[in-house]
Amino acid sequence: MKILKRVLGIVLALFVAAVFLFPLLWVFLSSFKTKLELLAVPPVFIFKPTLQNYINAFNSDFPMQVRNSLIIAISSTVISIVLGSLTAYGFSRYSIKGSDFLQFWILSLRMLPAIAVVVPFYLVFRSLKLLDTHIALILVYCLFNISFSVWVLKGFFDEIPLELEEAAMLDGYTPPQVFFKVSLPLARSGLATTAIFCLIQSLNEFLLAVSLTTRVAETAPVGLSKVQTLMGVDWGLLSAGSIIFMLPVVIFTIVVRNELVRGMSFGRMR
Amino acid sequence: MSRLVLEHLHCWYGQTHAVDDLSLVVEDGELCVLLGPTGCGKTSTLRMIAGFVRPASGDIYLDDRRINDLYPGDRNIAMIFQSYALYPHKTVREQFAFPLKASKMSAQEIEKRIQETADFLHMHEFLDRYPAELSAGQQQRVAVGRAIIRRPKLFLMDEPLSQLDARLRVEMRATLRRLQQDLGITTVYVTHDQLEAQSVADKIVVMRSGRIQQVGSPLEVYRHPANIFVASFIGSPPMNFLDCRLERRGGQIFVRNDHFVFALEPALAQKVENIPPEKRLVLGIRPEHIQLSPEAKASAIPAEVYVLEPQSNELVVDLKLGDLALKMQGDKREMGFRPQLGQTVWMEFQQEHLHLFDKNSEVCII
Repeated sequence: MKILKRVLGIVLALFVAAVFLFPLLWVFLSSFKTKLELLAVPPVFIFKPTLQNYINAFNSDFPMQVRNSLIIAISSTVISIVLGSLTAYGFSRYSIKGSDFLQFWILSLRMLPAIAVVVPFYLVFRSLKLLDTHIALILVYCLFNISFSVWVLKGFFDEIPLELEEAAMLDGYTPPQVFFKVSLPLARSGLATTAIFCLIQSLNEFLLAVSLTTRVAETAPVGLSKVQTLMGVDWGLLSAGSIIFMLPVVIFTIVVRNELVRGMSFGRMR
Repeated sequence: MSRLVLEHLHCWYGQTHAVDDLSLVVEDGELCVLLGPTGCGKTSTLRMIAGFVRPASGDIYLDDRRINDLYPGDRNIAMIFQSYALYPHKTVREQFAFPLKASKMSAQEIEKRIQETADFLHMHEFLDRYPAELSAGQQQRVAVGRAIIRRPKLFLMDEPLSQLDARLRVEMRATLRRLQQDLGITTVYVTHDQLEAQSVADKIVVMRSGRIQQVGSPLEVYRHPANIFVASFIGSPPMNFLDCRLERRGGQIFVRNDHFVFALEPALAQKVENIPPEKRLVLGIRPEHIQLSPEAKASAIPAEVYVLEPQSNELVVDLKLGDLALKMQGDKREMGFRPQLGQTVWMEFQQEHLHLFDKNSEVCII
């Protein structure tokens, strides 16, 4: 009975994994196919792979767009983690007047639907002459990411026993040193979790990116959407682009996976 | 040399007066135990000494220097926390080095101190482990090591043994005491366990609702409790309390209650001469100061054996006296007979250990 349960569990897990991974496999295979093979019915799974799609992608604006995406996403993530962890620590450790209200206000920024603020943002950035710049998108993404990281990181800081910090204070460390040497290292898994969510969120964002950029600061999702031309959709190029664009997040996730697993099962975001 | 002086300390948490006018002197090298039930202000006092809580008023002196306004790290105080507060992300070696690094000590000197401390606590083989890989007893030793490695002026211990199982607790109790005496470091030790307090303390401070009830050596608080609270808190099983009044008849003074009456010995009678007969009193007698006999005696009080609680070589007998209940405790062999359930026995109070308290003020009279 126990073995049967285990086997059933594994089968179910494999099935779920297959359902989730199949589109990925599809895109991966498609990126190596010629136009003809792409449109073949029934679809072919065994074919002679070609790198033409990747060559095309590298010869277009796409590398620049990936670069833009990375600059914007990484900057916004770093800023959000730095400001978010400091703010969250403050909320977690000090009693501040109106703390609950402030926290809810910060969280409510996250609930704001992006579409509601597209036009105001456009007007603001136009008058600041920041349209089509990295700074504009970094600022806008920080708005969402900081509120998110404050909320999540506060949960992680709350779980660190106060006694650890008191011990460090008695050991002769000043409050900033206590924060950097004790609290921050202990919130490591929270930082990793928050960072990856911020990164994915900023890389995927489309609506604000499409409205606030035109060419110079255009991000990869916006670029990919424009593959759809008069000649129809170049599926091969689109697939190759998607695969390239996926890599940074996959690599980052693999690097921090241990922290991530711990982070998911600890702190507020269970 | 380090002497801790607390003068008229007050501490408030919102509307709660957690520590109420606490004054205390802990002499150099002394181990002073703050003893009391949960919420009596003992931990708040400790946290004020450490500098985590600011006293609402009052002064704290360490070596004649007022330390109220010093940052915890500048007070040269080490603390062993109830949870040990070991840094989960640091190995034992790093835990030991952590307080030394703050004082900008050279790497060589740090290494030397780590070796000394590891020798002292027999922790060599654990130096490169993380706290999660250690047993509770080993974690406790790491906490001790981190405290002593700095050679602080003052040790604070907040229920340091409460996380250990009973056997280890008794063992560590002796170890801690020995260590403190070897190092000669002035120590303030918080516990709610009166047995632990009795076994480690030079001086016991019994606290209740933020106020000091009595300060004295372990023997003093046991023999001469200042009031009913101290009397009931110290000793196990606790002291028996019986309402009573005094009565004068034929030149003698009797203690009377609905169920018994007995004459006070002349030495005691002298001390209570001035107490008016209408004053309501409470008689206190410890279980170990009651003697039982199977046969009737003139001065003895009959009672019924209600429950027998045999312990290794002692026997605790619950006695019923009408609607009153008492406990007595005695050595099995010295008792001279085996009490049976339901048996009527005669009990005598050892009058040199008898206490009388004022029922209203709860203060000890004799």
